[in-house]
Amino acid sequence: MQDAIRGFIALAGQVGLNFDFLASPFELRMWLDGMGTTLVLVALTLPLSLAGGVVLAAALTSGRPWLAGPARAYVELTRNTPTLVQLMFTVLVVNMLISQALGGAQNNPFGAYFWLVAVVSLHVAAFHAEALRGGIEAVPAATVEAARGLGFSRLEVLRVVELPLALRTALPAIVNNLVNLVKLTTIGYAVAVNEITYASLMIWTQRDNVVELMIVLLLFFSLINLAVARIGAFVERRLAVPGFGQ
Amino acid sequence: MTASSTPLVALEDVHLSFGANEVLKGIDLTVARGEAVSIIGPSGSGKSTILRCINALLAPSRGRITVNGVRVDALRSEAERIALRKRIGIVFQQYNLFPHLTVLDNITIAPIRILKENRAAAESHARALLERVRLADKVAAYPGQLSGGQQQRVAIARALAMRPDLVLFDEVTSALDPETVGEVLAVIRGLVREGMTSLLVTHEMRFAEEISDKVVFTENGRIVEEGPPAQIFHRSGNPRIRQFVRGLGAREAVQPGEGI
Repeated sequence: MQDAIRGFIALAGQVGLNFDFLASPFELRMWLDGMGTTLVLVALTLPLSLAGGVVLAAALTSGRPWLAGPARAYVELTRNTPTLVQLMFTVLVVNMLISQALGGAQNNPFGAYFWLVAVVSLHVAAFHAEALRGGIEAVPAATVEAARGLGFSRLEVLRVVELPLALRTALPAIVNNLVNLVKLTTIGYAVAVNEITYASLMIWTQRDNVVELMIVLLLFFSLINLAVARIGAFVERRLAVPGFGQ
Repeated sequence: MTASSTPLVALEDVHLSFGANEVLKGIDLTVARGEAVSIIGPSGSGKSTILRCINALLAPSRGRITVNGVRVDALRSEAERIALRKRIGIVFQQYNLFPHLTVLDNITIAPIRILKENRAAAESHARALLERVRLADKVAAYPGQLSGGQQQRVAIARALAMRPDLVLFDEVTSALDPETVGEVLAVIRGLVREGMTSLLVTHEMRFAEEISDKVVFTENGRIVEEGPPAQIFHRSGNPRIRQFVRGLGAREAVQPGEGI
């Protein structure tokens, strides 16, 4: 392994790229931890954003003002303000207030990592919700009436008829949102969560190898999002229904 | 066709308005168990609205609706309305099948999820119903792959899968081309002969005359006349009904082959 790393460093050096930091076990581990953290962040925020989107879309289309009103207010607030500011606000203000209420930071179970996951998931959930709302509202009223005529409750109509049809309509927009979500995890660098951009920043401030790490960063995110897009296309094909939406 | 003493469905002085538009202006109607009743009349006379009041998809602003001893107009909770709808099948003009489900799943989803039937029982019942509407080979097809007449027969099977006490047919052949109307009417005819209580809104005058125990003529939210088919279609003293019946009958007679 050491030999392989040394070989790579030498090879990169020949084309003028400085990957010397790979020889430092400390920096190497921080860098790999950063990649791992980013992958875990994606694995957490992606399903959480989808779950949040479904709940928000259900509230938005519920026809009940006490549900739809707060959901609408939340969607507007989160869509119209910078995610970075939201993250700063939760970490610097909300988290501090919780610490005070619990009698000190040592009693506060939440940290920057928690707020990063929460803010990214819920921010993207608002976009999913709008995409799904569009899909739900595109389900013909007559189809919903038929389901209610059979004896389905409103919630079951949503689950059995409206969401499955809405998902098919909204899937391209949802995949777009997920691609953005992957990139959005990089705001973690602002609150010192050691995801890959933060780890890269720590390394290049010491080494002056910005270009080298940028190349890796761009490739890393491209690969994740290529996978997200491919999975999205696969799901789209799987959900395709003959004679519907074609 | 045994008519018991208390009707399965009874409407008394039912009024309904959409905003300032009064759609039903005092409807009185009874359907006995095992009876087939057809509602005819010009478009916009409130025929479909009557059906939607019976299964509580719409709530009347005034009047009493009783189905199988249950006061439909007094139902307040969603759970009560669901309990009612489980007992009443409804078939629509535009079929309204679930486009993302196969024919089999369209028929079994309600028995499985609402009646809590186990899947095997629901599927074997569904297959028997598909046999009966002569679509046994379409089990795995999606609605988008079927003709209008086939979709409508699946919709009838979907309604029957709930083993309803009553089936409401809302202009179920109006969206079909003349060639496929017959296959759907044949299915309904079979049901009525077996004694399925049926309330039909229809523009198929000959069919209504053939299968109905009673025909109701509505116009402008009121029942103008009701009686046995022979009376409404041939012996009505009301010139408006004679004109309506003749007009539609003439158009029907032209249909086979003579259209452009």
